[in-house]
Amino acid sequence: MKRLIGVLVGVLFLAVSMGPAWAGMNKLVIGFTMSQTGKFNSESKEQFQGLKLWADQVNAKGGIYVKMVGKKLPVVFKYYDDESSKDRVQQLYTRLISQDKADFLISPYSSGLTASAAIIAEQYGKVMMATGAASDSIFNKGYTHVFQIYTPASRYLTDAMDILTKVDPKAKKIAIVYENSKFAKAVCTSAKKYAEEKGFKVVLFEAYDSGTTDFTSFINKIKATNPDAIIGGGHFADGETFTKQLFEQKVKVKLVSLLVAPAVPEFSELGKAALYVTGPSQWEPLAKFSKTSAKSAWFGLSSKEFVKAYKKAYGYVPGYHAAGGYAAGLVLQKAIEDAGCIMTNMVKKALEKMDITTFYGRIKFDTGNYYGRQVGHSMVYLQWQKKDGKMVKEVVWPLEAKSANLVYPFYKKY
Amino acid sequence: MGKGKTLFWLIPALLIIILIPPVTGSVTTREGVFLILMYVTLAVSLNIILGYTGYVSFGHIVFYGIGGYVAFYLMKFHGIHLIPAMIMGGIGAAIAAFALGEAVLRLRGAFFAIATIGVNEAVKALVNNLNFIGGAEGLFFNFRIYNTYGGATKAIWFSYYTMAALTITTVIAAYLIKKSKFGLGLMAIREDEDAAIILGVNAKRYKSLAYAASALFPGMVGAVFFFKAGNIEPHDAFHLIKSIEMIFMVMLGGYGSVTGAVTGALVYERLKGFLLVNPLFKNLHMAISGVILLLIVLFMPQGIVGFIREKSKKLREMLE
Repeated sequence: MKRLIGVLVGVLFLAVSMGPAWAGMNKLVIGFTMSQTGKFNSESKEQFQGLKLWADQVNAKGGIYVKMVGKKLPVVFKYYDDESSKDRVQQLYTRLISQDKADFLISPYSSGLTASAAIIAEQYGKVMMATGAASDSIFNKGYTHVFQIYTPASRYLTDAMDILTKVDPKAKKIAIVYENSKFAKAVCTSAKKYAEEKGFKVVLFEAYDSGTTDFTSFINKIKATNPDAIIGGGHFADGETFTKQLFEQKVKVKLVSLLVAPAVPEFSELGKAALYVTGPSQWEPLAKFSKTSAKSAWFGLSSKEFVKAYKKAYGYVPGYHAAGGYAAGLVLQKAIEDAGCIMTNMVKKALEKMDITTFYGRIKFDTGNYYGRQVGHSMVYLQWQKKDGKMVKEVVWPLEAKSANLVYPFYKKY
Repeated sequence: MGKGKTLFWLIPALLIIILIPPVTGSVTTREGVFLILMYVTLAVSLNIILGYTGYVSFGHIVFYGIGGYVAFYLMKFHGIHLIPAMIMGGIGAAIAAFALGEAVLRLRGAFFAIATIGVNEAVKALVNNLNFIGGAEGLFFNFRIYNTYGGATKAIWFSYYTMAALTITTVIAAYLIKKSKFGLGLMAIREDEDAAIILGVNAKRYKSLAYAASALFPGMVGAVFFFKAGNIEPHDAFHLIKSIEMIFMVMLGGYGSVTGAVTGALVYERLKGFLLVNPLFKNLHMAISGVILLLIVLFMPQGIVGFIREKSKKLREMLE
């Protein structure tokens, strides 16, 4: 019996006491979890690649200059798989802070996981850059260490109405069909409110379950209400399927604007079904944010340089998840350089004061009730168009950043 | 059937595990042990309906979700303390299970298993559409809520001790049920339900009660977990994969025995936790744990504890 207890405890000790990594002042440890498995796998991987590119570039130059230490400190990553599930997020973030001695944190992908990680970051007073988390609801909950890189959900789809007002003032009927998930619901509820304020008529406001593969009943309802525009969507898989079925059913609308899916490069594999679909994006390779048009101080590399470096490293053009990952690193770097040290309070102050423009757009944080929420950055709208027989993404909105004109109406392609 | 000696070593062993984090002061260990305790409680509870009664409840996670939601709602909107909220969550889950049991426990075998998946998905869809509990967006705590418990640091330790007490209670309760006349009735149902009925076992009532008992503790676990997580969302609360993991833990350790469920949960959690953070395996953890578990199921179908019980008569009464 004693032996059994001994073995039990022994096994446990062995398993939980994996050697701690000690970090001195000769490197900067950045800790995070990513979703290597589970449903956020593809978005999270892009985000990680962007972040890694930033670290590689920084380290190629010797690291981040920290005034207090008087030298450049190279960036070291510590990361684990969170399996896209809340179960282990807190365990792993606690480990990152207390055992791996992470100096700064990057959030997991998605708002739900970020909210769980935020409790740990807050508890230990570690600055966490939240990228891949667009929810507004994390930011009025009393957290003072979480800083958002993405444009929040409340401003995600509102520009679709502005586009319609600009190109076709007569188009007034909107159908909103969205995934019944935290993110899509928050976006679409805000979009509905905005549309009604601007005098649009929301003829359909329906949610579909995550993982829906048959949209027939929704498409029938859309046909019955005959809207001018369809907006909504959710994540990649459902957005892709929805687009395909809209095409198969030849739904005649003037504008289709969906979340997430159109921004992902694989969307072009849909071919003609993807043509003229628009979508909001946190960032696009063609978006023309430049030193000359910047509304605040410029920091970091240009869009072109980023796309080139990413393409060289991974073999394809980055999407916004990747840019968001890179930007998280970039903003953190700027804050550390401004603060001149790695002390949380000083870096926080630098982040509060920050107002910069990067290849990714403007960055400025809310310091009021929604402390840490992104207020500088805004969405760009892309549209899949055909150029020399090839599917290409073009930026069509805002007008000052456009790379091509919007093709309107959507049903032109049938 | 004698009283057996299982609890005399099992409870001290669990206590030793529980005391490692406060003694060493390691928060990383605490997080690991918290998950172990959570999985142990879930597996031991599931074992009541799965192992004792022989009904495969595939969607058992639904009770964890229901308990979590009930407690979270009470804590967030009515400012109720974790402990009473947790108890209400557990009772809510047990009542739901009893009511559901009266309906779905008429089904046997695969039909019952499928029905429980349906129940989980139906409840998830319902919660997704109920706006007063946050719908698909879920509910978030304000960070201030932890001030009642002396700040977030203390609140997390508090949830750890609550989970520990819950685990000990669950293990004792599951053991007492197994050793009672009620438990004997359940095992009779497992072996041959029709024969049990003829022998005078009120099978319908017994099954519903067993279902309620096996839902009570997961409901309380849900309450503690989501208190600590600080937010609750339908897809996390009614996560079907976790349900399958629970069944797996019971099968891995040994069906029908308390020690088996505890061992299964412990081994499964440590295996996963180890692979997840190991620099060598962390990119392959799913594949490796899949292969290991497959091998165990192929060559030790009666589970780890079942295997030992079969090999050693002496250990049998200590491993119930």
